[in-house]
Amino acid sequence: MALTGLDIFKLLPKTNCKKCGYLTCLAFAMALANGKSSVDACPELSAEARETLSSAAEPPIRSVNIGSGEKIVKVGGETELFRHDKRFNHPVAIAVAVNDNEDVEAKIDKINSLSFERVGQHYEVDMVALMNTSGDAAVFKEAAVKAAAGTDKNFILVTRDTLAMEAALQVLGPRKPLLYAADGDNYAEMTELAKAHGCALAVRAGDLHALAELTAKVIALGYRELVLDPGAQDSSRILADLTQLRRLAVRKKFRPFAYPVITFTTKEDPAEEMMQIASATAKYADIIVVRTDRAEYLLPALTLRENIYADPQKPVAVEPGLYAVGDAGEHSPVYCTTNFSLTYFLVEGEVSATRIPSYILSVDTNGTSVLTAYADNKFTAETIARAMEEYGLEQKVGHKNIVIPGAVAVLKGKLEEESGWNVIVGPREASGIQKFAKLHFS
Amino acid sequence: MVVEIYKEKYRGQIREVVLGATGAEGGTRSHTITVGGETTLPFLHFEGKIPNRPVVAMEVWDIVPEDWPAGLKEYFADVLNDPAAWAKKCVDVYGADLIALYFKSADPEIRDASASECVATLKKVLEAVGVPLIVYGCGNAEKDNLIIGPLAEAAEGENLLLGGAELDNYRSIAAAAMAYKHSLIAQSPIDINIAKQLNILISEMSAGLLGRIVMDPTIAALGYGLEYSYSIMERARLGALNGDKMLAMPMIGNVGHEVWNKKEAAVSASEEPGWGEQAERSMAWEAVTAMALLHSGMDILVMRHPGAVRLIKKSIDDLMKENSYATT
Amino acid sequence: MRMILIGERINGMFSDIARAISEKDPRSIQEWAKKQEAMGAAYLDLNVGPSVADRVSAMRWLVEVTQEASSLPLCLDSTDYDAIEAGLEVCKRPAMINSVPAIQEKMDRVFAMALKYDAEVIGLAMNEEGIPKDSESRIALAMELVANCDAHGIPLERLYIDPLVLPCNVGQDHGPEVFETLRQVKLLSNPPPRTTLGLSNISQGAKNRKLINRTFAVMAMACGLDSAIANVCDQELLEAVATARILLNMDIYCDSYVDVFKSQNK
Repeated sequence: MALTGLDIFKLLPKTNCKKCGYLTCLAFAMALANGKSSVDACPELSAEARETLSSAAEPPIRSVNIGSGEKIVKVGGETELFRHDKRFNHPVAIAVAVNDNEDVEAKIDKINSLSFERVGQHYEVDMVALMNTSGDAAVFKEAAVKAAAGTDKNFILVTRDTLAMEAALQVLGPRKPLLYAADGDNYAEMTELAKAHGCALAVRAGDLHALAELTAKVIALGYRELVLDPGAQDSSRILADLTQLRRLAVRKKFRPFAYPVITFTTKEDPAEEMMQIASATAKYADIIVVRTDRAEYLLPALTLRENIYADPQKPVAVEPGLYAVGDAGEHSPVYCTTNFSLTYFLVEGEVSATRIPSYILSVDTNGTSVLTAYADNKFTAETIARAMEEYGLEQKVGHKNIVIPGAVAVLKGKLEEESGWNVIVGPREASGIQKFAKLHFS
Repeated sequence: MVVEIYKEKYRGQIREVVLGATGAEGGTRSHTITVGGETTLPFLHFEGKIPNRPVVAMEVWDIVPEDWPAGLKEYFADVLNDPAAWAKKCVDVYGADLIALYFKSADPEIRDASASECVATLKKVLEAVGVPLIVYGCGNAEKDNLIIGPLAEAAEGENLLLGGAELDNYRSIAAAAMAYKHSLIAQSPIDINIAKQLNILISEMSAGLLGRIVMDPTIAALGYGLEYSYSIMERARLGALNGDKMLAMPMIGNVGHEVWNKKEAAVSASEEPGWGEQAERSMAWEAVTAMALLHSGMDILVMRHPGAVRLIKKSIDDLMKENSYATT
Repeated sequence: MRMILIGERINGMFSDIARAISEKDPRSIQEWAKKQEAMGAAYLDLNVGPSVADRVSAMRWLVEVTQEASSLPLCLDSTDYDAIEAGLEVCKRPAMINSVPAIQEKMDRVFAMALKYDAEVIGLAMNEEGIPKDSESRIALAMELVANCDAHGIPLERLYIDPLVLPCNVGQDHGPEVFETLRQVKLLSNPPPRTTLGLSNISQGAKNRKLINRTFAVMAMACGLDSAIANVCDQELLEAVATARILLNMDIYCDSYVDVFKSQNK
């Protein structure tokens, strides 16, 4: 929401001097709120008021870019507290930490290998967070060299020491890393570095009040490519602070908090760390820096990201095609369904539970469910027959039997005509598949 | 700069539901468990009251669960044939807050066990553990309607949490709850309108049941539609906190049931090399599903893997810590 | 936000209420209090009516006898601020002051009272010149109310702006202006003030009063109406309001939504 009439009125001198052309400051405030006048019409505004009024047209949370190239990471730009109100815009970015005093190359290799395929989707971690654990600028720079050569992922440089940051930037500057972090002591120099290299800058303070103050100082130095860290250390405090940051930005348009948020996991145990990642993913983190590089714990975390950030307004679809469940072969039963994710996975789960290797033909219905697609003429005898041909069903099985969902039993006759196959009407609900399979295929 | 902390002031509150009954209340539980009562969204202690922490129930079946992955079964290897011992192990060794007892043997396709057989098992489990019990039938509505009455009667006074009530079949269970003073789960198929309607219908049978309903919105596993359940739960919770009394119930989710038939819980590392070791991965799949649901308002998590249970309980400890802001 | 319904019946312009007040017989007042509460009113409006000499003691009496019968918050309806203050003094719980126009001395008096007694205030979008026609002028007056309310340190959620409806057979051209005013009120401040109106006024002297009232109510709700002083005993009005809340995605749908709405307000 842009500034309201009252918000504007509070920023005006309230002298009713009429220089703006309106009889009262109140009237001018209303005119401004309705876009009928401009900030410049009032010569009596304080600098702060002018600044606030100008920035009011900006979005509640800025979008910030980290890195460059194909894998550029975009964070922030959020407008909602709840995904069901609209959607979340930029999936939380996950960075895996690398200490500058460990085997950097090995760790980088491990991070590169964290690449997952599941259900036709590809997940990977977004960034490497290079940590100046050694406290030594030269070691940090050396690590930056190795890291830069080892991966095309983007970077976060983690140090409070401006000399170390400068050293690492000599290597990684062109890759536009996120600089973590400006604090109460070093913010002037860190801001200069960020400006000089065109990098986003993290701002870290010990609590929300200190954070707002520090952010204001950095903004006063003329820099806005910012990411915020409220400095919380335990899960409960992190949740509270991140909730405050999101609320204040989105509901109150509190300008010092109009930036994406970064948080670090704090648990030693990787499984417990994973739980923190899950919390922060659900609730308002834009970047999470983690230490674990274990696939077992990152795959679930990245899947949760996929789920939370899925656009509720877009139906979720799987890639249409012919899927084998188990070691399917020429005698295997064939089931037909849509490519709506929920439907597909329900069917796949039930088919898998039959313990009979089978095929599932997922027809492209634009991600809509059986009944919706049927009503919309996307799941018809023609579209199913076409899919059967397109995905080479005849080459995969030696029989000519296909099972259709019970809800569209009416298609049986027409589909038999179109395809030349024998159509078996299956159960109405996926939960009936196991019983059905026992009856027909054992 | 003093930041004005943003606190929501909700009009409504989630009802509290008490599970189990001690001797003084007509049961034999060593203690009762209360769920619900929140006056704000999960764990936002700074603006409201969260009087009861979310709790974890572990599954106990009255048949050996053949389809559970080997790695999971191992945790219960010595007790799989004995529901009472199994329940005891869940509570004593694995820290379950409640036991969720499934009468799978009653399924006509499995053993078609009689009501009296089920009652005998129920009594053994009641004797073996002091925690409150959740009781599920076999999933066959016709058969469940036959066994729920005898089970409810046999455990009269124990304040069981009876599962299975759905929009198309809730009267028997509600009647059993009314007659023998139990609580009940109202289950809806990932549909908030049906969830609300079912609560209304149950309360129309008896206003006294309102304080005894736990909602089951039906959860979907991580990666298999979790976000649908998550958002329905958030909408229901927000509705309740904004005054919608017919959605102001604590919530329960069958995490174990949904997760363990999924590929990510079942396949070995050799089948999917990029996915890591099955043991940790499968546990993680259940734990993260549960974790997300905690944030959308889950009050009772029904789970299987002891490692996931331990992890989620630890997370609950962490999130139940105070997070108020100092007033400056 | 619920659609807050303020029961209008306890008004001295109705003969039974006028008689009750002059004879100091509380029965019909208490019956109407209970009846309106049962129908789902969230507040009870109290108006001593036009033909009372001592408005101060009449208002005080009205408050006392109503409170005996109902624990609903009260809406004190008078242009006599001494009478309102007398009523506020004996209110058991925070009440609503009905009302104050955008006239400086009156705003000063009423907002000070609201602060002292923790009361909510209905602010009328009019001034000494009367009710303006176009929405811009109404909004300018609403803004004055907002600014004054805020200056007195009263949270804006306690202010209810009434854009003032005229009967549709008299001021038919005011209708669209009122809808536009309701929409724009929500943009005046963050958090914005609430809105209200005297629903029955829209059909005063016209035919099909109930039909006009409930149609106007749902149209106004779509423009941001939060509350109304209305005839809560009108079943069809309640059903229309319940339906509008579903259509505006304010309440979660269920098949029994009408029954739920009616019982929810209890």
